[in-house]
Amino acid sequence: MAARPLQSTGKPRLLILTPDYPPAPGGIQLVSERLAAGIDGFRTLVLALEEPGAAEFDRSRTTVIRRVRAPRLPHAGRLALLNAHALREALRFRPDVTLSMHLVASPAAAAIKQALGVPVAQYFHAEEIGARPRLAAFAAAHADRAIAVSSYTAGLVRATGATTASISVIPNGVDLPLDATPEPVDRPTFVTVARIQERYKGHDVLVRALALVRAKVPDVQWLVIGDGSLRPVLEALVRSYGVEDSVRFLGSVSDEERNAWLRRTHLLAMPSRLPAGGFAGEGFGIVYLEAGAYGKPVVAGNVGGALDAILDGVTGLLVDPLDQLAVAEAITALLLDPALARRLGAAGRRRAEEHAWPLIVARVQSVLLGLLAR
Amino acid sequence: MLHHRGPDDEGAHTDGSTGVSIGMRRLSIIDVEGGHQPICNEDRSVWVVCNGEIYNHPRLRAELRQRGHRFATGSDTEVLVHLYEEYGEDLVQALDGMFAFALWDELRGRLLLARDRFGEKPLFVHEHDGELMFASELTALLHAKPGLRQLDPAAIDAFFVFAYVPGPGTIVPGVRQLPPGHLLSWQRDGSHCHQRAWWRASDELLAPQEPFQSVLAETRRLFEESVAARMISDVPLGVFLSGGVDSTLVAIAAAKASSKRLQTFTVGYDVGSVSETAQARRTAAYLDSEHHEVTLTERDVAERTPALLAGIDQPLADRALLPLNLLSEFARPRVTVALGGEGADELFGGYPRYRWLERSTRAEAALGPAAARSLGALLRGGADRAGRGQRAARRLAPAPLLERNLDWVTAERRRVRQQLYGPRLAGVGAAQVLSDLGARAGELPLRGRSDGKATVRWLMHLDQVDYLPDDVLFKTDRAGMLASLEIRTVFLNRELADFAASLDTSAHLAGGGKAILRAMLPEGVLDTRRLGRYRKTAFRVPAADWLRGPLAPVLRAQLEHGVLYAEGYFEREAARMLVGEHLSGGHDHSDQLWPLLALGLWADRFCGLDGS
Repeated sequence: MAARPLQSTGKPRLLILTPDYPPAPGGIQLVSERLAAGIDGFRTLVLALEEPGAAEFDRSRTTVIRRVRAPRLPHAGRLALLNAHALREALRFRPDVTLSMHLVASPAAAAIKQALGVPVAQYFHAEEIGARPRLAAFAAAHADRAIAVSSYTAGLVRATGATTASISVIPNGVDLPLDATPEPVDRPTFVTVARIQERYKGHDVLVRALALVRAKVPDVQWLVIGDGSLRPVLEALVRSYGVEDSVRFLGSVSDEERNAWLRRTHLLAMPSRLPAGGFAGEGFGIVYLEAGAYGKPVVAGNVGGALDAILDGVTGLLVDPLDQLAVAEAITALLLDPALARRLGAAGRRRAEEHAWPLIVARVQSVLLGLLAR
Repeated sequence: MLHHRGPDDEGAHTDGSTGVSIGMRRLSIIDVEGGHQPICNEDRSVWVVCNGEIYNHPRLRAELRQRGHRFATGSDTEVLVHLYEEYGEDLVQALDGMFAFALWDELRGRLLLARDRFGEKPLFVHEHDGELMFASELTALLHAKPGLRQLDPAAIDAFFVFAYVPGPGTIVPGVRQLPPGHLLSWQRDGSHCHQRAWWRASDELLAPQEPFQSVLAETRRLFEESVAARMISDVPLGVFLSGGVDSTLVAIAAAKASSKRLQTFTVGYDVGSVSETAQARRTAAYLDSEHHEVTLTERDVAERTPALLAGIDQPLADRALLPLNLLSEFARPRVTVALGGEGADELFGGYPRYRWLERSTRAEAALGPAAARSLGALLRGGADRAGRGQRAARRLAPAPLLERNLDWVTAERRRVRQQLYGPRLAGVGAAQVLSDLGARAGELPLRGRSDGKATVRWLMHLDQVDYLPDDVLFKTDRAGMLASLEIRTVFLNRELADFAASLDTSAHLAGGGKAILRAMLPEGVLDTRRLGRYRKTAFRVPAADWLRGPLAPVLRAQLEHGVLYAEGYFEREAARMLVGEHLSGGHDHSDQLWPLLALGLWADRFCGLDGS
């Protein structure tokens, strides 16, 4: 006679701790939301920070989301409150697994583990490891399983010295468009999608490269999607090199608008580099896959997370991200050789399909289920 | 006549059908044997002569080879013709280097002249009636076309005020300089002669908030890459060490990048209280470099000054020309290339003046316009008094920033010039230097009058586009070239310059100036008590002592026979009074006497050439 499940309600309980959650924009927000919505083998509770528009967003979802109210507190204070509330929520919810989406939630995850014996899965992206190396080491040491978004990130986790953590590399997923039909473009066009917040994204190298691309593709245009505190710096650089006529700053745009631009470009270029001084760079670069989802080839740096996201010569061209000439030649090659661009774009689409969210969510879920069995 | 620039080689190419001709003399640094110029492409349709150095030529060469270009030599200059085939006149965008080159495209009948971003290498142009002439030195053009030999009174006025000849003009009316970061294309049939900027130093006020540690890390990365690129050389290479922050950083990075023991060179004096030799020696010991020290004695000063100041192709009254030239000659038997720290002050906020003028701008705004005007009148009241306190008060007195800055850097020479000028300079409008400077400086991007950051940004940009090319780099190029030694500037690298210009000015000026570079110094290398508040030390010179000592006879001879006085450019009696007061020891007039001496010696040679 087969054993019956102990509880008739069936599903184990998953507590997701995250400081970053929609409606706020951003990569970690997106991953957290896709996992919370997609994981179906657990009863899931999300604990996130209160923010403008959150109530309305939460009502529109089937996921159970608790928000920690922390009005008028600086960011560090809000994080402290998140951690304090987490233990209280855990005592009530009695999770079987805790999934911490960011280093800053790791103290709470560790406390819950100590108090209730709940295993912890800890997400690692990239930048946050360099910014908070000691907390990263703590998080890795207290996690039963680390989930790194790329092999580059896994290397950063190992470099914290926490050798005990077992690491699963699970890239971020991508939303596949129902219709990826390209739209006609009147000028040779390449696009960059990134916040203009950190220097490592390579906007500066693209300006210098553009000055050379123009020599061979005079009517080229560069669409800069994204905004941030370094945008005036980038705009000044564009003027310094006299390439204003070839650049359009589109600012921060909605996902729909971004997708519309991805249909109307020949390629995406974002030569992210490793920041100097040991700060971490691109964790994975989901935008490369998003371009792939629209059948567009990419030009990227041959370092960091891009190495996992892009197959060099197959879905895009990986070049030395500090080498203006190499970046320029890669962009020029894709603009002047439509057959090459099509071939790489088609392979990019297949690569994106392998990274569709349902597949990624399933991989994370299997890691979480694995923790249950222990 | 350009033998000193290139003692090793010479060559020329003339297009017989058109009479277009380019030629050069060469100091061989890279591919000593194969680098003979002019150099042409595979089918001999593109010819180039280049003065300078393309640091990233190995990378460019590899890329060009991959695209099927065949190279005949190992010379860095050869990449230019092949790059031109790829990118046309945008080839300049691919270059990291100091250069001035002329490229002749025989098929299109087009000549392209280009000058590097910062103006490290000179390029003089004469254009008249469809005719175009160019050369690395003014003197060469004057030889080719003696009719150009005239002095421009307005340029003499500007020289006396600034102590250098501000570009893009020159000391003669018919010749101009191609400005830094510009190119000029000229069509053989005269249908087209167009000059444009291909790179402009940003003058915008940007204030991104970034963690100091990441700014520091990025600066360090860019700096070390720049040093490494500038150490590629087929001939021996050393570092000029002054005892200050910039050259110390250069030496440290060079030692790190070098497989051999580094050679360092420094210069000291036998008079005055200024000496950096002790600090340079300590740095050399720290680096374990092979250190060489030379003393510029009073005897050297007496022997070398007249020939040096007269022999340079445009007048220059930068006092550091003398020690830098001696140091170059001293180093030349051991090295052919030396790394220098020029440009660091302009890019990274090394001049204390920035902070003082920032403060006074803010104070003026706090006072309000009416009170500021009265205070200004009061402080400037003592214009005829020359005491240090009076001068400092005037510098900080409310006045338009452009004037205040001008008076600061030129020791108020524009205020005393009328007493000194003779009839030949009487026609020059007193306001012209100021309006010309205003045109070079561009508009002050003040958002509010009290904006100290905008003030600093604007001043740093002005120094970068004016003082840097026309004084600092002119001096560096000539001091080295007269000794047939190449000085490579490590800070003048496009990425480093772009990055420095994009930083919040407070990142530069924190803690007394040049905060980022000082933070890059390893603990204990420089005497931190001395540097506790940052002080400028780079190759300072005991000029007042020299003018009273070894140069006194030269000053007197100038008064008697110099063309400046004989031809009525300056008033002999007024100058005699200045000289007398200075020699008696009661006053220090070196701020006026050094430009007079430099200009006088130069003009005597120039007019001798002229036959007048």
